[in-house]
Amino acid sequence: MPNDYFSDMAEMFEPSKTAEKSEALKGIRVLDLSHMIFGPKAANILAEHGAEVIKVEVPYQGDYWRSATYWGKYWKHSNPMWHFINHSKYFVGIDVKYPKGKELILKLAEQSDIVIENFASGTVEAWGIGYTQTRVVNPKIIYASLSTFGQSGPSRFFPGWDLLAQGASGVISSTGYPGTEHFFKVPDFYGDFYPGFFAAMMIMMALNYRETTGEGQYLDICQAEILMRSLFQFTYSSATGEELGRTGSQDPTTAPSGIFKSSDGKFFALSIGTDEQFQMLCKAMQKDDLAEDSRFSSALERLVPENAGQLNQIASDWIGSRSSEQILQIRKTCRFPLSEVEDDVQISQDNWRRQRGSVVEFDDPMYKKLVMAGSAAMMTKTPGRIKWLTRPLGYHNRYVLKTRLGLAEEEIRKLEKEHVVGTWDYRVGQRPPVYYNMEEDKLFHYDGEGDVE
Amino acid sequence: MSSKEKLYSRHMQNKKAARRISEWSKLISGMMSPEGKPEALSDTMVIDLSYANFTGIIAATLFAEAGAEVIKVEPPEGDPARLMTPYGKTIEGTGIPYLMESRNKFNITLDIYDKQDREKLLGLIKKADIIIETFEPGLMDSLGIGYRQLREVNPALIYLAITPYGQYTEKAKEMASMPWSDLTSQAESGMTALIGGLPDEPEPFNRPTRAGFYAAGYTSAVSAVCSTLMALFFKRRTNKGQMVDVATADSYSSCVGFPPTIGYVWNEVRPRYGTLDYGLCPYGFFKCKDGYVAIACFRDQDFRAALRILGLWRIEEDWKTLLDRITDDIERAKKLNREIENAVAEMTFDEIFKKFQAFSLKAARSKWRGGGMPVTTRMLRPMEVMEVEHWKVRNTFFKANDKYYGIFQVPVTGKMSQTPLRIKTISARIGEHTDLIFEKYGLT
Repeated sequence: MPNDYFSDMAEMFEPSKTAEKSEALKGIRVLDLSHMIFGPKAANILAEHGAEVIKVEVPYQGDYWRSATYWGKYWKHSNPMWHFINHSKYFVGIDVKYPKGKELILKLAEQSDIVIENFASGTVEAWGIGYTQTRVVNPKIIYASLSTFGQSGPSRFFPGWDLLAQGASGVISSTGYPGTEHFFKVPDFYGDFYPGFFAAMMIMMALNYRETTGEGQYLDICQAEILMRSLFQFTYSSATGEELGRTGSQDPTTAPSGIFKSSDGKFFALSIGTDEQFQMLCKAMQKDDLAEDSRFSSALERLVPENAGQLNQIASDWIGSRSSEQILQIRKTCRFPLSEVEDDVQISQDNWRRQRGSVVEFDDPMYKKLVMAGSAAMMTKTPGRIKWLTRPLGYHNRYVLKTRLGLAEEEIRKLEKEHVVGTWDYRVGQRPPVYYNMEEDKLFHYDGEGDVE
Repeated sequence: MSSKEKLYSRHMQNKKAARRISEWSKLISGMMSPEGKPEALSDTMVIDLSYANFTGIIAATLFAEAGAEVIKVEPPEGDPARLMTPYGKTIEGTGIPYLMESRNKFNITLDIYDKQDREKLLGLIKKADIIIETFEPGLMDSLGIGYRQLREVNPALIYLAITPYGQYTEKAKEMASMPWSDLTSQAESGMTALIGGLPDEPEPFNRPTRAGFYAAGYTSAVSAVCSTLMALFFKRRTNKGQMVDVATADSYSSCVGFPPTIGYVWNEVRPRYGTLDYGLCPYGFFKCKDGYVAIACFRDQDFRAALRILGLWRIEEDWKTLLDRITDDIERAKKLNREIENAVAEMTFDEIFKKFQAFSLKAARSKWRGGGMPVTTRMLRPMEVMEVEHWKVRNTFFKANDKYYGIFQVPVTGKMSQTPLRIKTISARIGEHTDLIFEKYGLT
């Protein structure tokens, strides 16, 4: 008799065994020249799976996201939202303004498998650290340029970010209620994060290709276009000649659907996609006559706006007459999509996400305990992992320059004097937390002897 | 590079840089068409068993766009996702989201509940690199074709499972029968709680609402493909397969990462913020004379530049630094937003755009870095996006002209110099490739 399915799965995915398992990208080196969210997130996904990511920042200035904040709050003299975008990376401060800085960056690129940058299009070429220079020293390099409007086309040089990509792509004009003047963006810089995952995916395609052919390549990863790729509005308009418009909380591809309020004021999402799910809903609502009604018996009929509207009213009344406790009970056996609207606090505390490892409590030697999102997808043999949180600007200068480029202490001191290499300004986000004794930190003062982790 | 193009960097203007940029531009122009180029995953075979689940369907498409041989397996009556379509509108009976994701795939039918059909499926799986399935956890296993059984017949197989709560934990077991939907995935992963009007707005506008597209579906599909490609890379080096598990109730929180960390660090629930922003002020689209325009100020110098251009310099004193513009006080944020709103309302988009661009260009070309880079764009409706010259030049919209489905457009992205993503065919007819595939793999 084989074991129970769920116990076998629990054993295969057991989060506490992660450290004993392999890393899919072990030995892959990534040079991360990017800043803010879009580029750093792409590099972070690779770091999470074992790639050695060296993040290069301008000394005494650093990535602007270091000192960004939500509602003006910081956490241990850092931006808490900086940690989950840049964990498990090496932090190096090199100034590209100086010829020697360029040289160091090109030397690191020469040893790398992947370079990621997200400056305004063309900037890295102007600086002399772009693909056309990197491929000369490293023909196998996979060089990813990330930008809002892409590397080609008449608007390629327009600077931009999340908000602009969401507005230019049609995401914002598609979100909100019909007939109102409020157009909502998808919050939390979604237009950076989701394209960041897409960028990591394209890099992985290129890495798989290189593994069989030995060929590197150049990737033009366009933020606004990635958002456009994810809208069915264009196909809808070109096929029907009509505009899809906005539908508030209702998903126009399912009916009934929407976000409804329970009798005790909690919100629930309901979204009926298939005939089978609709039958189950009718059963749960004890309205078997609806299932027989020709206006509602097939999916395409239910989706006709008048019919969908009637069903939404029925669903709204049904949920409105029940307490959240009752609905949570119904959910367990209902067999149709019905869920709570969860908020930040619930998500950070949900037991199942902690057990799953999609929400992780990480204990870091420098910053101590922080709760963060774990991997977005779990893997049995090569699970992703967090190795350390972020570090102050230039923290790994000695470690990286000595172990990777073979520089001696005197050479690094000289580069520091010339401002080519440097660390942090005493500002929130760049500097270490006040309680931390940097003098005793062996990795920061790496002397070239042995492995310090 | 055309002489009309405006460069936002002083570094681009010296001679050496110009040479490099022209070499780079040549490379870029060679990337405009995928014609005749190899495909990244042409050696990879994917079996897609997705059922009423767009996360799975989209994941399969992304493999197909990279050149994998993707075989979509449906029951004889078709995947119910075919009928999940806006307002019930179809093209020749196929729903629009489904048709849009039917790129480069082979459509075959098999009844997984039938023993003979399962034998055929096994024949395909033995040769496959990747299998995608979205049934309730344990269902495939109970039919003898779950990961535990398949790894015996194909040890290098990568098995991607996509469900609301994944394949392990007590919750996954208890809620195994809960089907997927995009809306419930958005809701449970923390997205809808943050979208909607301010608390003092009337019902229903202050309620949680959805992002107006399959935001959870695409997000979880892309992260699923990303991890599966890591598994494929690991397999190329070790010849070991594995299982990849995606829980779509994590879609948003795992993607943007804010909900778990904010929930922990602040331990308080963020109210819905309407068109305001949690991090920056101003950061949004404002109504001008002829549409909506983005005003986004990140650094103090960007804000100062925007104030000068919008004729608002008189208020600078009150909002000098980022700390003055912190948005935790809704009333203060609203006040600043109203100032911007009133100023923007007096101007046309072109006026704002030209002034912003002139300012940014001058600042970016100066060696003094404090000038500020006010950036803007117009908010476009999808129908307007399709008319933008920039996307026409980039071939962002693939024009399908099919004798069965007629003429329509689908968006595509993924420019790579060697192995660009591409659309070769759009074909979604039920079972149209069954014979072809069975013959190819000797299963007739």
